[in-house]
Amino acid sequence: MGNKSSLLLREEEIAQIQEETGFTPNQIERLYSRFTALDKNDCGTLSREDFLRIPELAINPLSERIVHSFFAESHDDRVNFLQFMRVLSHFRPIRKNRENRLNSRDEKLRFAFSMYDLDNDGKISRDELLAILHMMVGVNISEEQLTSIAERTIIEADTNNDQMISFEEFCRALERTDVEQKMSIRFLN
Amino acid sequence: MTSLKHGVNLSRRACRPYIKFLAAAAFLAVAVASPIESTTKQSPSITVDGISTYPGLGFGPMGPVAPMPGEPPGTQLRQQQETTTETTTTAKPKKERTFVIAAVEFHRVETPFLIGVWIFFASLAKIGFHMAPKLSKMFPESCLLIFVGVLIGALLLSTHSVHVQPLTPDTFFLYMLPPIILDAGYFMPNRLFFDHLGTILLFAVVGTVFNTLTIGASLWACGQTGMFGCTTPLLDMLLFGALISAVDPVAVLAVFEEIHVDEVLYIVVFGESLLNDAVTVVLYHMFEAYTEMGASRLMYTDFLAGFASFLVVALGGTCIGVIWGFGTGLVTRFTNEVRVIEPIFIFVMAYLAYLNAEMFHMSGILAITFCGITMKNYVEGNISHKSHTTIKYTMKMLSSSSETIIFMFLGVATVNNNHDWNTWFVLLTIVFCSVFRIIGVYIFSAVANKFRLHKLNTVEKFVMSYGGLRGAVAFALVLLIDPEVVKLQPMFVTTTIAVIYFTVFIQGITIKPLVKILNVKTAEKRKPTMNERIHERFMDHLMAGIEDISGKHGNHHMRDKFKRFDNKFIRPFLLRNYQGAEPKILETYSKLAMRDAIEYMQRNASTIGNISGAESMSAIFKNYTNSNFNGRKCFSPSFTQLDSSTWNIDMQELEYNPSKKDLTDARIHHLLAEELCKPYRRHRRLSYSRHAVNDRDLGTQVNYKTHMNIRRLVGDRKHHHKRSKRGKQDGKNHVTFPEFQQNGSAKQFTHGKKKYYRLDYIDEVLQEDEEQPRRENDDGGITFTAKSPGYDEVSPTSSHKENSSSLLNQLANLPGFNPLKARIVKQYAKTPEEILPTAVEKSLPWRRDRSTYNFVPNEDILEEDERRMSDDNDTYMTVAEQARVATPTATETMLPWKREEAEGTTALKQSEFPSWASNKEYLAYSSPSATFLGGIEKPKHPKSIIGLFRRESSSSTQAADLPIASDSEGKADSIKGDSSSMKGESLYSQPKQGPSLLSKRSTSLGGPSVLLMEDVAHSDPLGASSRPASIMQGPHRGQCRRGSMLELTGSLSRDAITEEKCSKSLPESERMGVRRLALGQQSLPREPFNRQLTMASNLLTSSSSDESSDENT
Repeated sequence: MGNKSSLLLREEEIAQIQEETGFTPNQIERLYSRFTALDKNDCGTLSREDFLRIPELAINPLSERIVHSFFAESHDDRVNFLQFMRVLSHFRPIRKNRENRLNSRDEKLRFAFSMYDLDNDGKISRDELLAILHMMVGVNISEEQLTSIAERTIIEADTNNDQMISFEEFCRALERTDVEQKMSIRFLN
Repeated sequence: MTSLKHGVNLSRRACRPYIKFLAAAAFLAVAVASPIESTTKQSPSITVDGISTYPGLGFGPMGPVAPMPGEPPGTQLRQQQETTTETTTTAKPKKERTFVIAAVEFHRVETPFLIGVWIFFASLAKIGFHMAPKLSKMFPESCLLIFVGVLIGALLLSTHSVHVQPLTPDTFFLYMLPPIILDAGYFMPNRLFFDHLGTILLFAVVGTVFNTLTIGASLWACGQTGMFGCTTPLLDMLLFGALISAVDPVAVLAVFEEIHVDEVLYIVVFGESLLNDAVTVVLYHMFEAYTEMGASRLMYTDFLAGFASFLVVALGGTCIGVIWGFGTGLVTRFTNEVRVIEPIFIFVMAYLAYLNAEMFHMSGILAITFCGITMKNYVEGNISHKSHTTIKYTMKMLSSSSETIIFMFLGVATVNNNHDWNTWFVLLTIVFCSVFRIIGVYIFSAVANKFRLHKLNTVEKFVMSYGGLRGAVAFALVLLIDPEVVKLQPMFVTTTIAVIYFTVFIQGITIKPLVKILNVKTAEKRKPTMNERIHERFMDHLMAGIEDISGKHGNHHMRDKFKRFDNKFIRPFLLRNYQGAEPKILETYSKLAMRDAIEYMQRNASTIGNISGAESMSAIFKNYTNSNFNGRKCFSPSFTQLDSSTWNIDMQELEYNPSKKDLTDARIHHLLAEELCKPYRRHRRLSYSRHAVNDRDLGTQVNYKTHMNIRRLVGDRKHHHKRSKRGKQDGKNHVTFPEFQQNGSAKQFTHGKKKYYRLDYIDEVLQEDEEQPRRENDDGGITFTAKSPGYDEVSPTSSHKENSSSLLNQLANLPGFNPLKARIVKQYAKTPEEILPTAVEKSLPWRRDRSTYNFVPNEDILEEDERRMSDDNDTYMTVAEQARVATPTATETMLPWKREEAEGTTALKQSEFPSWASNKEYLAYSSPSATFLGGIEKPKHPKSIIGLFRRESSSSTQAADLPIASDSEGKADSIKGDSSSMKGESLYSQPKQGPSLLSKRSTSLGGPSVLLMEDVAHSDPLGASSRPASIMQGPHRGQCRRGSMLELTGSLSRDAITEEKCSKSLPESERMGVRRLALGQQSLPREPFNRQLTMASNLLTSSSSDESSDENT
């Protein structure tokens, strides 16, 4: 499988992806093999089903959102490798002396924010937050509690009293969080 | 292999007789109090005698103490000993005949006594340091303790007690070390620890081995040059290297706790010091065994055995710890009936884990560390808050005292004559220790950085290498070396002490300034905000998902897997009430909600009256949090509230009227009590029970009833005195009224059927008490729902529960009721014909109850469940009574003084106070109820009067002619508050009307004038008179609000102006103030509230381990 995938990936494609996402060629090839492994239909793109076939991801409470985030740029509900890599590049660790385009703190936060913000209005509403809470916390907690938690959360972050969390407010709320580290994984070389 | 094992087994912390410690203790006693104790000391023969007399009580180690090496000379003593010996041997038969009235038998208690003395003095020394801030700023505590230890050691030496060795390896490893390690493990930040586990293990295992080998080899190499002047066999050097290379958890903790470095740095160094125990122990015993076997007979299998033994020791210790940890979780699952003994399980089982590991020659430190790490999550879910606090404090106490003693003993052990000082050896050891530590850190952090997201930078590497402190573990290990086998043991001891001194003193002292100079990231202690908690958790899930997608099995993946496993299998099994995933989110929420509540209460105590019960708790806090976050990001509630509370106190004293603030306060308290925080109630029980702590921390307050009623039967009067005394004591904070809450039920005994009810009632209460725990543990919600019928019953006559208008109605129907009223009125009002008296009555609700039962119950308004009971008045009463017994009425819980006084004679009868009133934490902001209650007897307080009236009048006039900028907001607030309270009122006066409609109506109200009309509408018979009062309401609230605003802005000038103005219109404003205050306490509608309460209490029960920090801070 690995051999096949690396064959399919041409040099200039790698260079282009590297240029865009900052992954090293090695990482790109490795991820490409992963990509093709996920691509059960061998059509060069991934569907939602392909993602959800990953067993661990299937039981991730946020799996739907995570998968959804990969489809942000796609129009036909398929993800090609470049889009796949673009999303993943958000989670590259930040290197001090290199350019961090897609994986800057801001981008990481924006990515997380967009996962909350289903309707893309640039704000997290109470219901959007509640939806996430529902996924994470599960069924054991009553609706009322969750609602009050959501409200409390929004109030806490909300500085302009619109009962929504804008991206700026979101950033401010996470000011003290080590987002750079929390939202990075080490991609194997 | 077997021989190695054997050696390991034999030598590992081999049991030594207690003699050493005993001797040390004895000498301390001698040193401290030689004259007294020398006389009390008795001869060995007596000891024998004593033991034979009390065979089982011989205190094991206390038996015939071997002749003390340094027995204080004193011929007198010796003579005495001889004589006593004689008498005991010869005069034994005589002794049986005489009965000794008083005798001194010191030796029986000697060991524990001296241990106690040690602990006492060590702790005293600790106190001493903190009284000298300059000293403790410069030196770490450990240094000072060692210093004191040296002094004591010198003292002992001067009394010729040369061989004293209080710090024996056994006492150290069996008694002193476990508490420290348990504390470390139990309070270990699990996530941080496991996130950095790779790095920690790298340093702990590979780093320690590296250090051992390099130090040993270098010393051996230097020894080959002959500079030490003695033969230095390689194995001895390696043995020494093994014990000296280990970073010591005790020393690291002591120093790092003081420098507050970044948590990553801390966890790496500290984790290393914890986990390297296994390595140290194994290496130590390996080399010890090799030494004993002799280098010539060593085979490569022995080295392999060493490696295998490392795996066994480390993994075995960890496994034992984890198993015990789960066991503890399981046991605490079933302790809900015997809360008192909860904490002991944590300590005992952890200690057993330690001993168990030691028993099998595993690493005890690893065992107890992992026991703590494992048990924590489950135990916290099971135990009560009180137990949690107990555990926390006990653990901290034990660990810090044993740390204190360890350092002190280190100091004491320094001073002896057995030193074998070898300058070169000492110097080189120190140099090698430092150099190889630095080299090791740099090498291994470079390796670790390859795999780390957060790269360790140079400064961190430096602090890591600099923080590699050696300590008591090394010392205890070096003492374990058998001098017969290792000839250099005395030199090793001396060198170890030197190294420890070097690291603890030089490095310990300099690390603090260095951390500052190097600008090391220091840890910020804070609690996560709700956003952080949720979003971080969100990120965890996200990252786990991303890892899954990218096909990498990293940290997140593992953690996710474990969490899932934990949630699915372990938690349901180990936790009593399993709350589902994400307990942390809930925990944070309830923590924050409580903090909000407290802050709100503290800051806005005066304005909270604006909040009617119709508003939900969350709405209240929403408002508050809003203002909090928008207005000022940082403020110090304690300061601001200080001002307001004193201000309010004055007012209360003056009015001695349960003013709005009181009611408010109580309301808030009960909101808090039932919804958010569980204030620490002190439950006095009738009978002292040793086996049960009545731990009702779930928001119900039923258990007070038994007590209360009996109390009530026994005597009413004494509280009178109590209170009046209290009143004199202070108008301020710490008045304690522990039984106030119990009022409600007691007062239910009404006139006619008093006795009958009482008996009945007590029975019920007793039953109730038994039933209660179960219910309570289920959840608070049940209780709350049960409350609403009880509530209605407070004033069964009127449809409006506490509606002021209905009260006025009642009062109007009761013309003869007024002896008190008159009294109060006299004090306040110039014109008693005015409405004022009734207003006062309204504000002093306990007088209401007289009237209560004179009315025919208006069945329309009864709740359904009550309705079926309401055949006739009597039965209704009985049943209702029962209902109340079961649950205190909501009014009662909300407004403690509203509980009817059965005899209903005087306002002053209000004699019992809620237990929370005695809670200092709660009262920290000068609870006005305390002042009010205390001040009732001596109302006039000149100073405060002036202050009050200035403010009062300012507020009353400001609506008309004082356009003060800040008032606008206050007024707006007050309007809002008014309307909402109005909503409550109208809800009751027109019960059929939907609350939503009402709320719309009330929110649409423009201002005070409109409000006034509303008010009038409700208070039918006295409408006219209540009008002015309601007018006042707005301004008053605005004024209250302004009070807090002023505190915020700190602008005193405005205050001064208004004060001036108002002082002119003093008498008038006085009256107004009274009225206003009286009206300010309209009560809350209950139902929406109850829902809220139920919900929130559910929440509370669900999250168990919150608040602890709040409790403790």
